[in-house]
Amino acid sequence: MTRKVAIYGKGGIGKSTTQQNTAAALAHFYGKKVLIHGCDPKADCTRIILGGKSQTTVMDTMREYGEAAVQIDGVVKTGYCGIRCVESGGPEPGVGCAGRGVITAINLMEDLGAYTPDLDFIFFDVLGDVVCGGFAMPIREGKAQEIYIVASGEMMALYAANNLCRGMIKYAEQSGVRLGGIICNSRNVDGEVELIKEFCKMIGTQMIHVIPRDNIVQKAEFNRKTVTEFDPECNQAREYKELALRIIENEMFVIPQPMSMDKMESLVVKYGLMD
Amino acid sequence: MRLNEIPIDGVPYDRLKVEKIPASPAYAPRDPELVPAAGRTLVINPDRICMPIGAMWAVLGVHRAIPFVQGAQGCTTYARYTFSRIFKEPATIATASFHEDAAVFGGRRNLLEGLRNLVVRYWPEVIGIATTCSSEIMGDDLVSFVKEARIKIGGEIGAEKMDRIAMVIINTPSFAGSHVDGYDRAAKAFVDTLATGRDTPDRRVNIIPGLLYPGDIREIRHLLEEMEIEATVLFDISDTLDAPLAPPQEIPYYPPGGTTLQEIRGMGNALATFALQPAAGAGGARSLERRLGVPAVVGLTPVGVDATDALLQNLSRITGREIPASLKIERGRLIDALADTFHHTMMKRVAIFGDPDTVTGVARFVCELGMTPVAVAPGTPTKTFEQEMDGIFAGYRELFLDTPKVFNGGDLFEFEEYLKTLPRLDLIIGNSKGIDISRELEVPLVRVGFPIYDRFGYQKRPIVGYRGAELLLYEIVNSILDFRYPDDRTQQL
Repeated sequence: MTRKVAIYGKGGIGKSTTQQNTAAALAHFYGKKVLIHGCDPKADCTRIILGGKSQTTVMDTMREYGEAAVQIDGVVKTGYCGIRCVESGGPEPGVGCAGRGVITAINLMEDLGAYTPDLDFIFFDVLGDVVCGGFAMPIREGKAQEIYIVASGEMMALYAANNLCRGMIKYAEQSGVRLGGIICNSRNVDGEVELIKEFCKMIGTQMIHVIPRDNIVQKAEFNRKTVTEFDPECNQAREYKELALRIIENEMFVIPQPMSMDKMESLVVKYGLMD
Repeated sequence: MRLNEIPIDGVPYDRLKVEKIPASPAYAPRDPELVPAAGRTLVINPDRICMPIGAMWAVLGVHRAIPFVQGAQGCTTYARYTFSRIFKEPATIATASFHEDAAVFGGRRNLLEGLRNLVVRYWPEVIGIATTCSSEIMGDDLVSFVKEARIKIGGEIGAEKMDRIAMVIINTPSFAGSHVDGYDRAAKAFVDTLATGRDTPDRRVNIIPGLLYPGDIREIRHLLEEMEIEATVLFDISDTLDAPLAPPQEIPYYPPGGTTLQEIRGMGNALATFALQPAAGAGGARSLERRLGVPAVVGLTPVGVDATDALLQNLSRITGREIPASLKIERGRLIDALADTFHHTMMKRVAIFGDPDTVTGVARFVCELGMTPVAVAPGTPTKTFEQEMDGIFAGYRELFLDTPKVFNGGDLFEFEEYLKTLPRLDLIIGNSKGIDISRELEVPLVRVGFPIYDRFGYQKRPIVGYRGAELLLYEIVNSILDFRYPDDRTQQL
């Protein structure tokens, strides 16, 4: 059974990095078959899996050659550990409708049969905020069944996470999509883990793992590699391995209960005044 | 054997008449909460269509003009089909032909290529570019696209040729209004874009007729000719959508007539602008007044005695021309016809629906006939409709048999359900969309307004002016007679 996972989170929080490193760990340490579908018009969700190779996006192909020209061979590239990668792509900033691009690309991939049943995991990597129906596409109609939100101990990241939960409950009833947990991508701020744990408790989910801050992530990125590929023995690679294992073994899937703004504010006051 | 006794499949013709179908035992009455359109998210039997078609209608009334629709092909296909059904004329309408990729990347490339193809193949003098829902939702920047297109096409055909082609952008997102608003926006866009200035004031008047048929526009022209007034009629579909059958003299083919670009450019010099239909055209008249100081005269839709009087008096006041004896004779004939038929029209209950200005015009006229308008329903809501109705009814209220129900917007389902609650109804006046209601209620339908697609010739027969009112009157009276005395040849009329 393929598990379909969508990764959401505030812009700049490290979704794509976390997601690619996790995918690499799943493939390298556990032999899982993984496909990553990047749903960000910037098309930067698969870079370190593909070793910096720029990928022809679904939308690029459609723009240049028309819908009929979109074939799996052309838009699905295989990278590290056999991880398959697709990028939706989208219009230039300021024109057209990027959300529609995501819808079109996912529909096309389904029609072409790119999501093969032999896959263990499909990751949808979605941009910062769900701003329209297009960016909610991966959680509509049961396309992704589980969501992980990447967050840190900063308030804006938790605001965004709370907002995503609000968007998600609209779809949870019909599509069966569930929240699998919050991934803490540490920023090394005070009381980070406590804050996220309390936040998770309040919305009814779990903090699935804490990824510590480590320069090796950036170093690996400069080398166009995931940490696992760059140095599978290092401490950070073990952290991604642990996260991958927890995702494999995860059994806690919930419909979150997003907080009211008042409650969010009281959380801010509680942790903001600690020092 | 008489004709109606000849059996068809064993049943004589005169027994073929379909009886009203009794309600089946399973019939459930309507949920009263769901009857008002405002309480539903669903529109049942809409009495309006989409905004771009109003803009296309307008552009088709300009000489050598082609509407270019920045949207998917269906946005123009249904429009061509609708125009063909109503006018029995071909309508040349270009489309940007959006496909899935345009929905993602925006319509820039479609517009650039589309306009280029249109220009080099058809050489129009005016292109009216109407947007659609999808284009507006994506946020297509039409102004910069068109600038870019002009530079590109100009590079191919030469700047001089390019300068001779005018392009007018009309923003028509359908979710923001109906075809009536689309026409109004087109009127505003054309005068804003093309009317250059008020440098050489002349003695002409501008007429924005609104969604009136070729027959109506010809009648308006007749009134103006009798008054010896020169006028620019924007948008004049009287020839373009009612052309004689003749082989095209040249390719590409354009129908004769239509408002010329030169006339539109000079509209700022006119004595005044008359918007005959407030909801469809007043936007253009008011904009011209604000921008160039051309006084705007808005309404009344000149149907019936009072409203035609008002139009002629306003024309006379502004131009200084006397109302000629010939028009007074026409008026006298209409009054005579009213007197001749009054015993058939008085105390009849009538329900009216259609575009708002058609409804106000017809409602005023039926009041003049001594009828009681029991329900009036404009498919497109307007801010002033209820107020206008109050004004019309004020002079007649004591003659009314019932208090009129005034809708503003809503759909024909709501209208029909209301009519079903009435103890009596003699007549429905509206467009072809009312035929099922008319049959269901077994009340005759008099066809006026847009659209009429199930009968021939209505687009040529005016309802405006004194002569138009007379024709409408006979249509009303004959429908009543036909219904009340269907086979009576001895009835003394």
